[in-house]
Order: sequence, then structure tokens, then C-alpha cells
Amino acid sequence: MTRATVARTPVTTPIAFSAEQLAEVRRLQSLYPNPRGALLPVLHMAQDTFGYVSLEVEEYVAGLFSLSPAHVHEVVTFYTMYFQQPKGRHVVSVCHNLSCHLAGAGTLVDHLKQRLGIDVGETTEDGRITLLTVECLCACEAAPMMQVDDRYELNLTPEKIDRILEGLQ
Amino acid sequence: MPKLTINGKDVEVPPGTNLIEAARLAGFAIPHYCYHPGLSIAGQCRLCMVDIEKTPRPTIACNTLAADGMVVNTETDRVKETRRSIMEFHLINHPLDCPVCDQAGECWLQIYYMRHGLYDPRMTDEKVHKPKAVPLGPHVMLDAERCILCSRCVRFCDEITRTGEIGIFNRGDHSEIGLFPGTDLANRYSGNVVDICPVGALTDRDFRFQVRVWYLDTAKSVCPNCARGCNIDVHVNHRRPHHNEGRRVARLKPRFNAQVNKWWLCDEGRYGFRFVDDPDRLSLPAGKNGGPPAATTWDDTIRSLAETLEGARPDEIGVIASPRMSNEDLFALRRLTERLGVTHVGFRVPPAKPADDDDLLLRADRNPNTQGAELVGVGADAKPILDAARAGRVRVLWVFHHDLFASAWHEVEVRQALERVPTVIWSGTNANRTSELAHWVLPSAAWVEREGTFTNFQGRVQRFRRAIEPLGDARPDWDVIGRVLAALGAEVKATRAEHWFQELASTVSAFAGMTYRTIGDSGQIVAAAQEAATR
Repeated sequence: MTRATVARTPVTTPIAFSAEQLAEVRRLQSLYPNPRGALLPVLHMAQDTFGYVSLEVEEYVAGLFSLSPAHVHEVVTFYTMYFQQPKGRHVVSVCHNLSCHLAGAGTLVDHLKQRLGIDVGETTEDGRITLLTVECLCACEAAPMMQVDDRYELNLTPEKIDRILEGLQ
Repeated sequence: MPKLTINGKDVEVPPGTNLIEAARLAGFAIPHYCYHPGLSIAGQCRLCMVDIEKTPRPTIACNTLAADGMVVNTETDRVKETRRSIMEFHLINHPLDCPVCDQAGECWLQIYYMRHGLYDPRMTDEKVHKPKAVPLGPHVMLDAERCILCSRCVRFCDEITRTGEIGIFNRGDHSEIGLFPGTDLANRYSGNVVDICPVGALTDRDFRFQVRVWYLDTAKSVCPNCARGCNIDVHVNHRRPHHNEGRRVARLKPRFNAQVNKWWLCDEGRYGFRFVDDPDRLSLPAGKNGGPPAATTWDDTIRSLAETLEGARPDEIGVIASPRMSNEDLFALRRLTERLGVTHVGFRVPPAKPADDDDLLLRADRNPNTQGAELVGVGADAKPILDAARAGRVRVLWVFHHDLFASAWHEVEVRQALERVPTVIWSGTNANRTSELAHWVLPSAAWVEREGTFTNFQGRVQRFRRAIEPLGDARPDWDVIGRVLAALGAEVKATRAEHWFQELASTVSAFAGMTYRTIGDSGQIVAAAQEAATR
């Protein structure tokens, strides 16, 4: 996956979980022999809450686990699905692996770039959409495909993509 | 205790010994990068593969405990081939910049390539490039391209200092060690990551590019910067003196001592040797401040000193010894004060700012030989001497090493005392505000320029050896004191530090039976501490 690298004014939410979220953090930590095991789900919670995993968020999460921020940074940089930069309200991830590529993913990526006016790894100026390319998402039977937020969009054509984009606000 | 066979040799090892250590005990070196006896097992580098009978494939030795009846082979064809392949992997993205790498000569990539690699490289793709020459903190420089990701430095900061500054970021061939953005590697023990880094990824900012390591000579020594007395090696550069701008001591490295410092050394001690070659080093005995005429030779100086001391009544002489002096110096001084009948003797001068202890090595007492000064018997608190000097009751005051202005004593009182005493003698290595006010300034040899022993806070007597010649006319304190004793008519047989130690051992019961030989390389506990330990 190409990382989103566009700088956008970060949302200035104070970095702190609600009481309910903190209870959830404690619950998750209690599920593992080493509470550190809950780092991944808690980082996802943090990303959903604060928009992306900034260095400040890493430090905050490190505090919840009594870890050094360096060790949270290790995890965040290892996995591709934690965003270290602000991302758009919607994330469009086009598969460019073998099956999708043979089925025309390259053309679709060009189409998306042109329609959105951004390059892969960038976010539209209005903060609506971040465009990424990713490796195989296990839906080769419906190639070419892409993931829009948590949803799979299959058997894509440029027209179908246009309709999908219209639905993203 | 498990009995096993390694390369056909039977060996019995303590329970819980891993195969790297077991092989070491049997006399075989298993190559490894990530394993370090002072750190947890990571199993990261995969280099320590060995063949164990009845196991289907080579196994990492670091994470395999020796078991009864185990038959281990460290040199089968399969093991050798595995090593070669792993070396090839480790070196795929390595920049091979040995000609400009400070680690060259003590680099385990070089050593193991020659011993276990020697393959023809097959890598045709462009190497992955990473940041080079990145300062991580005041002492450590990172070259991420040279790193083989053994994680020793990560584990050191997690497990030993518990500060956790270093992490491995990103993944695959983009993985690299680094710090959380915006932070420094500035813990009190940061220099140790350079020691344990098996390659040129972490180098010492102070040492790098001074001299190639193969030009260094080594002397076993003890760190003089706190009461622990960490065992060290002093690395000196005799052979390429033009390379380091007059700096004779190139670096200090920790020397393993299980009872004292294990593998480690704090940064304060590691970089605390600069005074040795500082421009303010004293190299000639000198008279000044309207005192006796400036002497140019030790002979004249010693004669005048003896006359001055003889010319004063015993109760008019004050001696402030120092816990920075060795046991030998202190014992010679005790002989001198006894001969003269001096009673104003002390060594304790409180520091201006009390230093702090930590739970690893550093002791709040930043002197190497407080324990020794107590055992040898050179008084205690030096404040009464200062008071007597201020009251005009001291005609000759001999101060060793202390900068009294850098103490907790009131500056005005120190000045009053030093100005009131007609003859102030100051012995030490480097000029300071106290030496500025002295009438006689006597240059002392620094600890790396002479032999001696310190007694650490545990009561462990430890030897330090000479690594370099004394600067100019600087002399060990025992030598100067011994010569003054001789000038006073005493019979002085000691011509080496060791002789003074022999006299000390036959006089002071705590040291009874000790010799330089029995002290050896790792020290010996004084009788009192030994009794306390067995009680």
C-alpha cells in the first residue's frame, strides 16, 4: 500500500479517549497475557477517534500501555493500515496485484487519478478522498476490484467507479 | 548438571546454560550477532545455527538449553552452508563501506565473513539505502545502512536502562533502528550501545575517525569517576600519535567483571578521561604567589618541601588528602604524617552539589577510593583543618587534588584559609582555583599514567595499570611523598607502587595477605568486607 503523504491541517481534537473508550482499552488489555497484545485494536480505536495516528497519538497510546513511544512507533510503522498522516473522509484502495492488473486495474487507477485530480497516496483538497493502491485483497474472482472504506467494490469499470465516487461525500 | 557432547568433546555445564555458552565452555566459538549474555534472547540473527543429533534441521544455539545426552555439532557441512547463506542475507543491503567505517577492524561482519562467509555475492539489484551519520544523542552516531537489525541496542535500552528509546521501524528490507521522532538517546549509559553493536551501525561520536582500532594498545584499569570502580580497558594510541591531535587516551571500554559492572560503563565514566590531555594539565613543579622561588627540578622542590615541613611545628601542619588518591598514595602519606607527627589530617571535603546514585552502576560518591582512604587511615572530615587554617593556626597546608572552591565549603572561608596560611602546597593533575592560590604546585600523574589500587564501595581492592607515560614531569603522589620522606631522613625502600602496597598490606589488617598478584584482574575484597559478607 502506498502511504498517504499529503499534509492537511490536522484536526485539533484534544487527544484523549472518553471514559467509555478507556474502559474498552482496559477490557482489551485484560484479554491478553501481556497487555501489550491489545496495542493493535487500541491503535485502531485511536485512528478512528482522532482521524489518524499522529506522533502525539502514539505518545498518548504509549502512556495507556506504559510503553516507550518508540515501541508504539515500531508497531505503527510496521503495519500499513495505520495512517501516520491525515487521511480523507473516505479511503479508496485499488488492488493492483496480478489478477486485477491483468483485468485493467492500471487504467482504472489512471481514471481515478484524473477524476480526483490527485496522485496515488494523495488526498483531495476538500479532504474527501484518499487514493491508494494495495496488494491482493483476496477477491480475484471479481477483478478488477477496490476497497472503499470497509466495503469491497467488485468487477469495476470506469462508469461504475464514477457512480461510486458520486456516493462518497 | 547436564552432560553433553559438543564436536565430540564431553562437557558438563550448569543447568540453564544455552548452547553458545556451553560450546564456549568446551572451547568452541559459535558465531552470533544478536545473542549477548547480558540481554534477553532474541533469536533474530539466525547465525548461531548448530546441528543437534536427532533433530531434523539446524537449530539456533542461543535459544537452545544444553540438555543431558545432547550431541551437538557446530561444524557440519550443513551448518557451514547455513552460516554462509545467512551471512549472505545479512550483507545483501550492507553498503560495504569498510574503508570509511569506524568499526573496521573490530567488526563482526568482517570477522565472520572471513571465517564463515567467503561466498561470491549474487546480489544484482540496487541496495536499499538508509540514513547515514545520524547523531542519536550526545555520544552515539547511527548509520542505518550498516545495521543488521540484531536488536541488541533495543534490548539494552529496554532491559538495562529501562528507557526504551530505540525501536525498529518499518518492515522488510526497509526496517531500520531509530528513535521516536524528536527524541534523543541521552540516557546515562548510552555509550554501551556502541560496545554491543556488532557492526558499524552505532559508533562513538567522540572516538570515530580518531584512529584505526588496530593501532590501539590496551591497559587494564579501573574507572576513577565514582565509588563503584567499574573495570575498564584504556585504549591508547601510541602508534599513530599524529592522528589524534595530541590526545593520548583514545577511549575507555568496559571490561567484564561479574561482581562490579558486568559488561557496562556509564557515560560519565566513559567520557570522564578528558582531563588527562587537557591544556590545563600541570607538567612541572612550580613555586608561585610569592612563596619559595620557582623550582625547576623535582630535586630542588623535594629539598625545599622537606625543609618547609621540618621548619613547622607538627600542630602547625595541615594535610587534606583526597579520596581520588590510590591506596599506595594514601599509605605513603600516612607514613609522612606519622613521621612528622601531624594531627591535622583529613580527606573528606563535601562536594558543592551532592551527586546522585542510580540503580545500575553510578554511586553518589563520585570518588574512587573513599573506602580506601578510610581503611588506610588518613583522618576523616577535613573541615577542622580549614577552620584551623582560617584561625591562623596552620603554617603549612598540603592539599591533594581537591578544588576547595568547588566544594560545599563557603567560598569566603576557603579564600580566608588559603590566604592566611604562609605555605600552601597543592598536588594534583590539573590547574584549578585552589592551585591558583597555592605557593607550591606539584604535578601529579593521572591514573592512566601510573599503577595503583582503589578500594571500591564494596571493599573490593582493584588494580589500575599504566597505559601512558606521565605528562611532562608529573609524578605519582606516592613517589613525591616517598621522596619527601627520604629527604626527611626516613628509610624508604619503595620504588614502585607495588612496594607501597606490600607495606600497606603488612601494616593495615584490612589489606593483610593481599598482593598485586592476588588482586589480579578482577579485584579482591578487603578482610573487613569479607567478614561482613560471611556474617
